[in-house]
Amino acid sequence: MMADLATYVLTALGLVFFVAGTVGLLRFPDTFSRLHALTKADNLGLGFIALGIAFQTETWAQLAMLALIWALALLAAGTVAQLVARAALATTQEEE
Amino acid sequence: MTVWLHIVALGLLASLGGALWRVWRGPSQADRMMAAQLVGTGGVGVMVVLAALQDWGLLVVAFALALLAGLAAVGFVQAQTPDGAGDPEETAPSRPWKDALAATQAEKKP
Amino acid sequence: MVLTPALGAHYTCPMDKIFLKAAFHRAMLFAGGWLVLTNAQHDALAPGLGVSIAATWLSLRLLPARHPVMLWRLARHLPRFVAGSLKGGVDVALRAFSPRMRLNPGWIEVSCDLPDGARAALGGELSLMPGTLAAGSAEGKLLVHLLDTDAGHDTAIPREAAYIAALIGRRSQQA
Repeated sequence: MMADLATYVLTALGLVFFVAGTVGLLRFPDTFSRLHALTKADNLGLGFIALGIAFQTETWAQLAMLALIWALALLAAGTVAQLVARAALATTQEEE
Repeated sequence: MTVWLHIVALGLLASLGGALWRVWRGPSQADRMMAAQLVGTGGVGVMVVLAALQDWGLLVVAFALALLAGLAAVGFVQAQTPDGAGDPEETAPSRPWKDALAATQAEKKP
Repeated sequence: MVLTPALGAHYTCPMDKIFLKAAFHRAMLFAGGWLVLTNAQHDALAPGLGVSIAATWLSLRLLPARHPVMLWRLARHLPRFVAGSLKGGVDVALRAFSPRMRLNPGWIEVSCDLPDGARAALGGELSLMPGTLAAGSAEGKLLVHLLDTDAGHDTAIPREAAYIAALIGRRSQQA
């Protein structure tokens, strides 16, 4: 019962952060600010979803797989944010 | 629980829809790429939720998607460099950036 | 009698020790990944051994170990990192949802004497912390985008740089 409650709360939080990421991506005025929204909010969203689902897993292997997915996403997000920011620096013209 | 997880999955898909608007409108290539990135992360989220709903084997799909989303961004960045194969650090930051830096510094000490 | 090195002298591990330690860490990492991916099934163990060795060899070829990474310090750093990324997410979410959307984006340059790999790690970490986003480096300086130049998010940068320096066994020059 407690496990189900944790899943409800954590997945709801995850969804909120995902929506925040999308809202930021749509509302923020320039490319780099949008990248902030995407990187930070999205990752946290995925983290909360994975944590919430972790309370529903049946075996250790599933739990480990969830942890692996999250670690990979976290690592990728930090790296990709830098790379895209750098590529945008080299190419963007003033747009607004 | 089943109903709630379906709602979460639908919510995630809706937020991906929002990101697609940014892919469509841009304006810069980097904007499109990062929106596609959000679709990647969101896709991983949807897969994780569906794994709990249907079949835990879907976690492997989520893993592969996370891996590919990261590599796609690296591919994009490499394609953006002048010789198409390199390290984005080899190109010096552009003129607008220097102006932006100067503007921030000027604002800091009025 | 062996002379003990003067206290406070810059201490560096011998190169082969760093190599062996890195090879061991990476082999464990790959073996762990294999076990998770294959559900630790018995008939997957033998190929896993070969795969782990091959992956370790390849990773040492592509990214040679140059600095001793201190795993216990990494583990100790983890809670701080999670807390920081939580704050970062909440901060950006509040800004995204608030109707007035307080943003004042700008750029700063931060001088940074970390080696390349550590600088990338610092950049990745800063990108998940509140209000800062690294965009690589130019002429040895880290380029950082601030979401709000008035919010003082940049005060976190030297602190994080010192943490990362400690991870590879260095004392940071910045106070």
